[in-house]
Amino acid sequence: MAIQVSGITKRFGEFTALDAVDLEVKSGELLALLGPSGSGKTTLLRIMAGLEGPDAGSLHLNGEEALGLKPRDRQVGFVFQHYALFRHMTVFDNVAFGLKVRPRGQRPGAAEMRRRVTELLELVQLAPFGSRYPAQLSGGQRQRVALARALAIEPKVLLLDEPFGALDAKVRKELRRWLRKLHDDIHITSVFVTHDQEEALELADRVVVMNQGRIEQIGTPADVYDHPASAFVYEFLGQVNRFDCMVEGGIARVGNGTLAIPTEGGVQGPAVAYVRPHDLGVSPATGGPGRIAGIHVVGPDARIEIDLAGLALEAEMDRERLATLGIVAGDRCSVHIDRARVFAR
Amino acid sequence: MTVINAPATALRQPFFKKPSILPGFGLTLGFTLSYLGVLVLLPLAALVVKAGGLGWVGFWTAVTSPRVLAAFQVSFGLSFVAALVNAVFGFLVAWVLVRYDFPGRRLVDALVDLPFALPTAVAGIALSALYAPNGWVGKPLNDLFGLKVAFTPIGIAVALTFIGLPFVVRTVQPILQDLPPEEEEAAASLGASRLQTFFSVIMPALLPALVTGFALSFARGVGEYGSVIFIAGNMPGLTEILPLLIVIKLEQYDYVGSAAVGTAMLLVSFLMLLVLNLLQQWMRSRHAR
Repeated sequence: MAIQVSGITKRFGEFTALDAVDLEVKSGELLALLGPSGSGKTTLLRIMAGLEGPDAGSLHLNGEEALGLKPRDRQVGFVFQHYALFRHMTVFDNVAFGLKVRPRGQRPGAAEMRRRVTELLELVQLAPFGSRYPAQLSGGQRQRVALARALAIEPKVLLLDEPFGALDAKVRKELRRWLRKLHDDIHITSVFVTHDQEEALELADRVVVMNQGRIEQIGTPADVYDHPASAFVYEFLGQVNRFDCMVEGGIARVGNGTLAIPTEGGVQGPAVAYVRPHDLGVSPATGGPGRIAGIHVVGPDARIEIDLAGLALEAEMDRERLATLGIVAGDRCSVHIDRARVFAR
Repeated sequence: MTVINAPATALRQPFFKKPSILPGFGLTLGFTLSYLGVLVLLPLAALVVKAGGLGWVGFWTAVTSPRVLAAFQVSFGLSFVAALVNAVFGFLVAWVLVRYDFPGRRLVDALVDLPFALPTAVAGIALSALYAPNGWVGKPLNDLFGLKVAFTPIGIAVALTFIGLPFVVRTVQPILQDLPPEEEEAAASLGASRLQTFFSVIMPALLPALVTGFALSFARGVGEYGSVIFIAGNMPGLTEILPLLIVIKLEQYDYVGSAAVGTAMLLVSFLMLLVLNLLQQWMRSRHAR
């Protein structure tokens, strides 16, 4: 089911959480709303679910106006960051809740209900845990229960609010892969909110980058990473070297001419240049303009801090390459940049 | 020497002591036990010992006389009714105070504690003046419905409800305040109506607190004296409460008889509170955090 958001605005007192946001979620896709806290991503998700009402704009679920519908009539599954499981119910009863509260005519019988809940518990790999209480489960297990509970009502759309936010790094990664696989199996239109760019880039079909109540960019993960539409997107997606420069005839000059970088886009005059650490080349050069200020080895990668006439830069390469170069802290070096993205200042 | 002694010291610790970095276990436990002993256990023990002067048969005869049994019925029955009323309406008050913001909310919040602070005799006199057949509330009730409140069991229930209200409100309020809104939102998005959400999500979370409030209100009602005696009319066998009966026996120099009634009250109250506590423990264990 497709979701159509047009001109949605939401204010909390003086604070504008969403500023005339337009967005289309395609049927069957897995979409990430990515942004820093306060960017409005959670508010947008809650408006889709009907847990919050917008001040202006319209929302269509599958072509039908949905703002007038109560949450219970929207056929939307919602997964909360802190699970929001019913503490006094067993895992089984939690998952069965959405079926039990149906009007008498649509409520499945006891046997049918048992069959469907068992099926869902198998889907989330928690079949042996049906009689436990939420307090007796780990965070990852609880979030899977929450997911099974949301899927029990056979929603047309699945909305997930920072679904991995409260989990530790390892579980988060596992659960994220598992969710991707689940989505590939059942193809339910899904929107999830995250502030973790790695999560969004790995998991989503398309990423919506939000900032201060507006959408900065919509695109595939490769799209937004390789061709950021704005300085904000560039800075938000991954590590970046940022420096002021002067662009003349397509060449960005930094400082007093220590670096000259070819640029993309037709910017002229004062600008800000962005270079990813892995796009920054280092080579040892006696009497070169740069100095290796420090080398940090993190797992298979090495981060190299460079002092280029007062400008602090960071380069990233694998350890093999570092060994080939044979540089150590304190060496002189030269720096070359193949590619930089500049935005007018 | 000290090296050899060290493990022995460790072994000598009592079996129920859990290792803790906080010092003062012995001191605080000792203080707690002697404090409770002197303050609570000693007077109660004295009461039981005094009643023991009657012997088993004498005790049984003293507490099963028709007048005492009737007073038991009045005290425990009406305290139960009042606690039930408080459980319902105290819950409502707590709900409104937590869930809605309205002008004067803080004032209403403060008002709830008044029955705690007011001398009970003052409350009793005020209530009986109001509910007497010629009072502001008693007169219309009498004229329109023929309902007599003051000097009847209903009057006692009114007084006990008055003094028991804060217990329910103050036990339910903080739990209601801490209830995560996400659980209700989850219920709503799963298709539950407001009523279904209330009964299957909110109530189970509040029930232990509600039972505590009920138990406190009930216990307070059983022991209440000051506010009741003014509105009760104190007719033996009809509107005579146990605490009053004890005082009457004291005034007749029947010290042992009053101690016997007191002991019986103590036993019944203890049993009821025990049952309520067990009930609560069972409810809590079902959804331990």
